[in-house]
Amino acid sequence: MEMLTLSHVAKSFGSKQVLRDVSFSVPEHTVFGFVGQNGAGKTTAMKLILGLLDADGGEISVNGRPVRYGNTPTNQYVGYLPDVPEFYDYMTPEEYLCFCGEIAGMPKGERKSRSRELLRLVGLEQDNRRIKGFSRGMKQRLGIAQALFCRPRLLICDEPTSALDPVGRRELLDILVNVKEQTTVLFSTHILSDVEHICDEIAFLHEGNIVLQGPLEKVRRKRRDTGVELELARTEEVKFLLSEFPFLELSGSNRILLKEAKKLPDVLRLIADRNLAILRLERQEAALEDLFLEVVGK
Amino acid sequence: MRAFLKKEWMEWVRTGRFFLVLLIFALFGIMNPAIAKLTPWMMEALSDSLAKTGIVTTEVTVDAFTSWTQFYKNIPMGAIVFVLLGSGIFPQEYQKGTLIPVVTRGLSRKKIAAAKSLMLLFIWTLSYLLCFGITYGYNAYFWDNGIAKSLFFAGFACWLFGIWLVALLVFFSAVSANSPQALLGTGGIVAACYLLGMIPRVSRYLPTKLLEGMPLLQGISEPGDYSACLAAALGMSLVCLGLAAVCFERRRL
Repeated sequence: MEMLTLSHVAKSFGSKQVLRDVSFSVPEHTVFGFVGQNGAGKTTAMKLILGLLDADGGEISVNGRPVRYGNTPTNQYVGYLPDVPEFYDYMTPEEYLCFCGEIAGMPKGERKSRSRELLRLVGLEQDNRRIKGFSRGMKQRLGIAQALFCRPRLLICDEPTSALDPVGRRELLDILVNVKEQTTVLFSTHILSDVEHICDEIAFLHEGNIVLQGPLEKVRRKRRDTGVELELARTEEVKFLLSEFPFLELSGSNRILLKEAKKLPDVLRLIADRNLAILRLERQEAALEDLFLEVVGK
Repeated sequence: MRAFLKKEWMEWVRTGRFFLVLLIFALFGIMNPAIAKLTPWMMEALSDSLAKTGIVTTEVTVDAFTSWTQFYKNIPMGAIVFVLLGSGIFPQEYQKGTLIPVVTRGLSRKKIAAAKSLMLLFIWTLSYLLCFGITYGYNAYFWDNGIAKSLFFAGFACWLFGIWLVALLVFFSAVSANSPQALLGTGGIVAACYLLGMIPRVSRYLPTKLLEGMPLLQGISEPGDYSACLAAALGMSLVCLGLAAVCFERRRL
């Protein structure tokens, strides 16, 4: 079942058309990567899904129900982590989470136990001081706890990793993967390695349109050629291969790159005939980054 | 809405604003009778030096009126402090984006606006009662409040002025992007009322007239003379709060 559907959504601010015609859908229990350059309109799209902005055209539905501007009832299914989460500085993390639970109408006992459980999940259970002294990474983790508090069916994260150090990023990505069982995750980013680590499906947003979308594997396969890299043990054998096949390229010490994969059998035949010692033969994965650069036309 | 009221209360208390506003109003409350009590002493101490400059001082008699005169002079100052402390209630949340998680969690915007307004009304009422109560108590102890006519009606009118101020503040801070804008809007309306007050025919309809308590106390004016400005203040307050709710509903957070 589709947890989130956008069809032909458009939005402009004054004369600036931010989203032209955006359509995509997010199946249940997937981690969906929403990729785009800075300023591509990712945050705008997310705010439209949350009913915080009024769309100029198109339809958005969450869990089968339409989103409308203002107080949208679909927000009961959604947990949201803004790009720079801000809290009431004078509260402690537990007080803040209990406040969120109370607003959502959760009974008192459950609020307490749920906030402890989530603070443990994000590793903040020891920090009982006020939020005022929190670092950016700690705020981000508290933001995740806050977003997950009411067991949302859809978790929306706006560039959750962009301001974190490598350790913080890894931890946050792990949290996102872990919650996949309970919820559906839509997260926006321009960091492609994050997408490769955790996403099942992706959509590329460029100049207000979705230029590429689908399951990660399928999108990767769209790239025309994937080369093969060979690593040999001896330098003279590398030289021999290069002289036999002019289409091969040296890509490092004792490493050869074959760009046209269909010529691989010829190369392998020669290697077998001459009994050359290969250390490694690897099909090169299409880097998402190349694909991204390709679709944005750079 | 209870949760949001609790949060507002926590904000006023933990940021220290609540105690600050109480302290200031308590100080004003003590100062009113204190200044009245000290006036004869000060005049006596200064009479020699004043005599040299040619000013002859006679014996000053002070009573509850002297203290209440101070009260009505000081209340506008207190109101300014209160408005300054309260002007950030909406703009701070807009700037930091702290209302987004609250709204996306399903709390209606009307309830947010209502909780913020109620908290302001409560704090104004509490501070005002403190100031009024302290002055009243000291006056009763040192002199006699009995000489003042319509004392409680005048006190009520002055309180209502604060309510009108709160309504203006809620409206302007709901539509402004930052607290200086909210202050400018609220201050602008009050200043405009003061200026219009110079035209005698208009002055009786202006909420700023509610601050003129002394004529009531001295028996020069009757409570009935204040009905027009009472109605104006009430009407304007309701309109401001209504407009604030409507604007806040449509506002981009």
